[in-house]
Amino acid sequence: MLGIGLYGLSVKKNAIRILFAIEIIVNAANLNFAAFTRYMNPPQVSGQVIVFYSIAAAAMEAAVGLALILVAFRLNSTIDVRRLNKLKG
Amino acid sequence: MVFCQLGGGCELPLISIPPDLTFIVLAAVTIIGSIMALQAKELIYGAVALAVSFIGIAGFFVFLDAPYLAMLQIAIYVGAIVVLILFTIMLVRREATDELTDRPERGEGAVGVWLAGLIAVAISGVAALAGPNLPAEPQPASLPISDLGPTLALQYPIPLIILALLMSAALLGAMALAKLEK
Amino acid sequence: MVGFPPTPAEILALIIAIVTSHQFITIVVFPGFIHLLLVVAFLTWYERKVLARIQLRIGPLYAGPGGILQPLADGVKLIFKEIMIPYKADRPLFLGVPLMLALLAALPFAVIPFGQNWVIANLDVGIVFVFAAASLFPSMILLFAWASNSKYPFLGGLRSLFQQVGYEIPMWISTLSVVMLAGSLNLVDIVNAQSRIWFIIPAFLSFIVFFIAAMAELERLPFDLPTAEPELVAGWVTESSGAIFMLIFMGLYMKLYLMSALVTVLFLGGWWGPAFLPQPVWFIIKTLIVATFIIIPRGVYPRIRVDMLIKLGWTRLLIIALANVFLTILLLSSGVLSAWGWL
Repeated sequence: MLGIGLYGLSVKKNAIRILFAIEIIVNAANLNFAAFTRYMNPPQVSGQVIVFYSIAAAAMEAAVGLALILVAFRLNSTIDVRRLNKLKG
Repeated sequence: MVFCQLGGGCELPLISIPPDLTFIVLAAVTIIGSIMALQAKELIYGAVALAVSFIGIAGFFVFLDAPYLAMLQIAIYVGAIVVLILFTIMLVRREATDELTDRPERGEGAVGVWLAGLIAVAISGVAALAGPNLPAEPQPASLPISDLGPTLALQYPIPLIILALLMSAALLGAMALAKLEK
Repeated sequence: MVGFPPTPAEILALIIAIVTSHQFITIVVFPGFIHLLLVVAFLTWYERKVLARIQLRIGPLYAGPGGILQPLADGVKLIFKEIMIPYKADRPLFLGVPLMLALLAALPFAVIPFGQNWVIANLDVGIVFVFAAASLFPSMILLFAWASNSKYPFLGGLRSLFQQVGYEIPMWISTLSVVMLAGSLNLVDIVNAQSRIWFIIPAFLSFIVFFIAAMAELERLPFDLPTAEPELVAGWVTESSGAIFMLIFMGLYMKLYLMSALVTVLFLGGWWGPAFLPQPVWFIIKTLIVATFIIIPRGVYPRIRVDMLIKLGWTRLLIIALANVFLTILLLSSGVLSAWGWL
């Protein structure tokens, strides 16, 4: 899933799809953490804490990212990241 | 308790599903969901596919003896974030999204595939190297849920506080962004 | 278990074993599938009767004795109506989402205990499962509103989204008090912990918050904005007709039953009652009483304004719920409840 997310991240030009790709990557990482806490001996609970934290952090980041996309759209009338490359104006 | 365990497969009434089958089904759902999320023609179908993929991950959490995390995943990811995504897609008007052809341009597709391939090789390499140290069978013990709370509060109080601060910052940031366009 | 090829006698034995197994009965009959459909049909009739009495009318009267077969008549009529799909609407979503909505409304019943052994899946994270499923509703509604591809349903869907998402949080926090009192996320444990005292007494504020939030989640008057009848035609269900409307309708009433059952489990002591009636019967009686109290305001109160709605959900209810959480912490740590033998 990490590979899928990275591919999407580098190829897609629709800003929202890029967000999809980011979420996919984060989820892949979460899955990894959860799996490792289960396989360790004895099973730690800190892995689950990490996943809990990561879900919350990803949620916040998605919210702010979406707000950014909305504002960018209002100002530029496009969400094509090839055209969103001017820092000012 | 929960129907599906890592060591022993799923138990339905009088039927027992082997764990390998559940793993394959879950993996298929998750991966196909994520691929479709990126490749679907319409953004909304992509968002739905993303939601399906998240539910697949939640299934994995259940499979890995973390049912509480699975429910949280569904509640937060599919319940809130997917809603936000849908909402944003609906507010970004159609003309902007329809014209985009997401087909990769000249060099970009190759870069993407190279990245993905590199990561795959790296991960398999690490797994192969660490192979002898991995436990062959999953441990039979499972984590009681009441462990999560005390660990969060007592062992990791600082990250908890940082998380709260981060949330406030995100909230304020989102509100500021909303005011910006007025 | 059976040889191959199985003889007819063995097949019969297997079928009998499956049908009479406890799991099959709970899933299909009670508190499962059949029971759910019957109760949902009953609730539609019940609501119309209650509202009618409040409004000094009689209600459904002609279909069967006292109008009790009215839901059946409604169902038959709706099935035979033509399903009109709006121009340029999103076909797969338009047809698929109502089905998902009905399924999703039925799903949390898998963890609600109707009696000591009458629960389909005794999950240790029972209550979180219910809320996870409940948080999927707003996205379904939004998808359906979008798939209808016209202005009014979409606006109704957005309003519904704000309303339902906003009131989820007070619901969660008020449940937190109950979970703290019971000491477990398992619904059977929560009910068992109420064997001495129903949680409505120590967690009274939470009860009020949960009740109001539940009414808002169900989009019932006075929180009727998303399907505001005189205003937005019919809100986000405008474009649905025939079987699609039936599915959505069933989903709504299943949610009503679900919320009433949740209130009963969390606050009213589940199936505890004097032993002359079996446990599930007590549960259903209490749930019906709660459902009555949810239905009554529909005939009594005027509709709430949008800004009042949001202010109510995010500020007042949240604060009351949090206050109750603190109160619960005080009660628990000072050992008052255990001193009185109530916990």
